[in-house]
Amino acid sequence: MTDPYEILNIPSTATDDEIKKAYRELARKYHPDNYHDNPLADLAQEKMKEINAAYDAIQKERSGRGRPGGSSGGYEGYAARQPGYGGYQYRQQERAGGSPAFQHVRMAINRNDLGMAEQLLAQIADHDGEWNFLKGTICYRRGWVDEARRYYQTACQMSPGDLEYRQALHFVENNGEGYRPEGYEIFSTGCGGNNLCAQMACGYAVCMGASTCGMRFLCC
Amino acid sequence: MFGYVRPSLARLSEEDRGRFSAAYCGLCRVLGQRYGQAARMILNYDFTFLAILLWPGEEAEALRRGCVAHPLRGRDFYPANEALELAADESVILAWWQIQDALADPGRGKWKYRAAARALRGAYRRARALRPAFDRTARALLAELRAMEEARCPSLDEPAGAFARILAAAAAESGHPVKGRVLEQLLYHLGRWIYLVDAADDLAEDFASGSYNPLICRFGLERGELTEEARESLTVSLDHSIRLMGAAFELWDFGPWAPIVRSTVYEGLFHVGTAVLEGTFQANDMAFRITGRDKEQL
Repeated sequence: MTDPYEILNIPSTATDDEIKKAYRELARKYHPDNYHDNPLADLAQEKMKEINAAYDAIQKERSGRGRPGGSSGGYEGYAARQPGYGGYQYRQQERAGGSPAFQHVRMAINRNDLGMAEQLLAQIADHDGEWNFLKGTICYRRGWVDEARRYYQTACQMSPGDLEYRQALHFVENNGEGYRPEGYEIFSTGCGGNNLCAQMACGYAVCMGASTCGMRFLCC
Repeated sequence: MFGYVRPSLARLSEEDRGRFSAAYCGLCRVLGQRYGQAARMILNYDFTFLAILLWPGEEAEALRRGCVAHPLRGRDFYPANEALELAADESVILAWWQIQDALADPGRGKWKYRAAARALRGAYRRARALRPAFDRTARALLAELRAMEEARCPSLDEPAGAFARILAAAAAESGHPVKGRVLEQLLYHLGRWIYLVDAADDLAEDFASGSYNPLICRFGLERGELTEEARESLTVSLDHSIRLMGAAFELWDFGPWAPIVRSTVYEGLFHVGTAVLEGTFQANDMAFRITGRDKEQL
């Protein structure tokens, strides 16, 4: 295994608090909630496993040396400890009261066979909440954010009590909850009167000469 | 490609600014060497960003020499490598097809596009011979895009997705399976973002000339500006596309380029998008140029 300190990007002389901080930052970054319905979710999952293993290894090593193993002792991993973080989980298989036709669509989506999922959906005449939700999910997997959101909105209007639909819509709309590196504060385009945003309106042309030599056309 | 993709300079160290500037100058030189002086006119920040994303793992050493634009002082630049060459070839192909697209659009002025097409024809033929697969993809997807425009497609995502797939195809030649997957996602969402920001930037002009603009069709706009509701919807799409770019970025180690990519994805794009929505975006804004002299003063 690679050096666990290297994985957490800290020196081996780091204090227990520094280790915990580094670990939390990485866990926040690669948390499954950030990769929901994302084609790269498997890569994020690998990263998460790696940093969990590194953290555990360091805890073990330090407690073995008779040092106080941080205040956490037996830290079980960020995801397990923080069920409240987003908590956005699809019920991927069983859905009480779901018709078999919809189950097949869900299975196709889980296989990432979006063409098949779309075909199956087209055969269902009743465009109820579930239909709109699944259509939205297919759009989302394609990266079609605008249409995903519209289908999720319709699903929520048709079945206002459904938590799964509301979570899906919330995920698309509330980008401020997504991961940002420390110190980066902007999370929305056109954040109006905010000072942070006002600063930048003063210009960012880093044009390094093209406009001075008369090559303006199509250029920076 | 239009020069919307910029790092947030305030976030960059002097060293990183120099690195960005040397990549920009490096791409300019490679364009000149491979395609002649005229091809350097297509140079912009978007293509520089592409070269940075495609950069191979190892750090390169910048050289310094004078050029047409800076004959006396000269500029630091990275000598040609596979990333700069790939970015240069793909830039020429994309620029060519964009010019063709503009020429096919009845609503736009033609003279400058005709002149550009004449100047780029030879360069395009060479680039096509070097990257036939990318040329085929770009040509096919731009034809799809044109069909959507002619049908006045009421979807934002369909045309944005077609444009995005062209950029995502640039990742196909990265040569590493994981990096390829990461870049494909990053470039796909970047492509969507560029397409949507460009649509917002052109909105007033397209409305006046009667040209296709996906925002007009999607939101049924009756004036050449976004309604409050349309603006809110567009913002959700832009923000979420940026979020997905960030999610992809974090899954690959971009080495010495990481600060530049990070400041672009987590800040620069928000800045540019905001300026475009507020109508204050100016591609040639001189207020914040990095010039050789500035660097020496700092």
